[in-house]
Amino acid sequence: MKNNYASPEDLRWKCYKCNIFLSVGPATLIYMGNKIKAQLPVCPQCGFVFISEELALGKMAEVEQILEDK
Amino acid sequence: MSKTVLIRLIHVAMKTEASPEYRVLSQTESLCPVCLEKIPAFRVTDGCDVYLEKHCESHGKFSAVIWRKDPSFEKWVKPKVPVQPPVCYSEITKGCPFDCGLCVLHRQITCTALLEITQRCNLNCKYCFASSEKSAVSDPDIKTIEFWFKRVKEAAPSSNIQLSGGEPSLRDDLSQIVEIGRQAGFGFIQLNTNGLRLAEEEDYAARLKEAGLASVFFQFDGLSDKTYLALRGQKLLAKKLLAIERCAKAGIGVVLVPMIVPGINVHEIGSILEFALKEYPGVRGIHFQPVSYFGRHPENIDNNNRITIPEIITALETQSNGMVRASDFRPPGCENALCSFNGKFLVMSGGHLKPLISENSSCCNKPIKADIGARQSITSVARQWSGIRAQRSGIGDQVDGCHGSERVGQKKEEEICDMDFDGFLDFVLTRSFSISGMAFQDIWNLDLERLKDCCIHTVSNDGRLIPFCAYNLTDSQNIPIYRGR
Repeated sequence: MKNNYASPEDLRWKCYKCNIFLSVGPATLIYMGNKIKAQLPVCPQCGFVFISEELALGKMAEVEQILEDK
Repeated sequence: MSKTVLIRLIHVAMKTEASPEYRVLSQTESLCPVCLEKIPAFRVTDGCDVYLEKHCESHGKFSAVIWRKDPSFEKWVKPKVPVQPPVCYSEITKGCPFDCGLCVLHRQITCTALLEITQRCNLNCKYCFASSEKSAVSDPDIKTIEFWFKRVKEAAPSSNIQLSGGEPSLRDDLSQIVEIGRQAGFGFIQLNTNGLRLAEEEDYAARLKEAGLASVFFQFDGLSDKTYLALRGQKLLAKKLLAIERCAKAGIGVVLVPMIVPGINVHEIGSILEFALKEYPGVRGIHFQPVSYFGRHPENIDNNNRITIPEIITALETQSNGMVRASDFRPPGCENALCSFNGKFLVMSGGHLKPLISENSSCCNKPIKADIGARQSITSVARQWSGIRAQRSGIGDQVDGCHGSERVGQKKEEEICDMDFDGFLDFVLTRSFSISGMAFQDIWNLDLERLKDCCIHTVSNDGRLIPFCAYNLTDSQNIPIYRGR
């Protein structure tokens, strides 16, 4: 089971506010009463979470669709 | 229609109007059950229940109950922005509902196309919207069926398909028809069946599965032969159970479809749910159908012989001792809100259900475009009602071939809140269960707004797409306006 959804490319991003590189850290996402925990690129200082396009249009969209449809 | 029925309907109407809390909620259009003239219709309440009332100058007033008690009628809404079907096979000449095909005034695309591949049946049910019987007109040939698939493909390429009838399994070329549908590009093909042949022939389910059948829409009215005798004229329970077992073994998803009739099987709603969960994952869901009075039916059309959507939802809560709750169910995103309800659940390791969406969360209060709702429904139905094995060969590739139900099922219930994306998808795809229901319309409660929002369309002999309730509509003398014409 893959729990780390941060790719090496994601970690080349810097947090705009803190000006430091993102690192892999725990994040909790809640949608329609369902909680998902994953390792994502986060700013180690302010905790800002980066969601890559691949994740947003991939598995995250799939989860959203399952919860929303019908 | 007998005079007794007419008098009863008028009597009910007068009683409603006499209530101090009587008020008109909204207006729509309907037809006179006797002369089929288009007339205004009103959704009215007596303070508790909701009725569709209409008055024909020639044939009097009619009132049919459409909603009883809670969940509240006025809160049961899911607004949609109408969309015109991209391909319309008919032009407007007489107006709705006489030009179905669809026409440009229709407000929803096709999510499911029904192909009636035979009018013959091996049962002679007391209630049958198709009025099917043993000796009926000859079956359409393969060329005609290919033409129907082509017409659906042109008008609604991504729709789901239901093979219906009559009893489709009476055709020895059913597997071939399923293959033709798959080759035409339809990903989800479901068989609407009474299940008798599935029980009688050991390898029949496997052959249909091999041809590409994903699911059976399985007539299943209860767990007592008394119910089958009352509704189907025969003791059928043993055969039903065997057919379910064989479909499950073959990997065909089973959707139990109980027709619910007051005085006959309302009390069995809880036991049907209990049975379905026992048969999970072979049984993927239940789809309740409150009785409607079109086609062949007993001459007892009065409001006491109707059951409405909120009553089925309430019965689900009370008869499951609160395992499912009324608040777990929502109006549909595809068809008109008054046509159906649905609830999405997860089967937990103890065999009980947990709602997938928590009570207070909602993403859906804003109007959505009708075709977006339809597309979501197409995907959702195909995902939920297919056999689990079928899913795992497609969507299941994303879960690395692991056995979600064994592995994840051993987790404690609260742990599902701590899953990652893959774990969540795996769990939902392998442990989801749906409870839904659809209230069809007959000539007495026909609401043309609902009809225009319909997404389930029967293919006519000449390849038009007719909303299901229009196709099956019969007047007070049981004469159809579309079927067989």
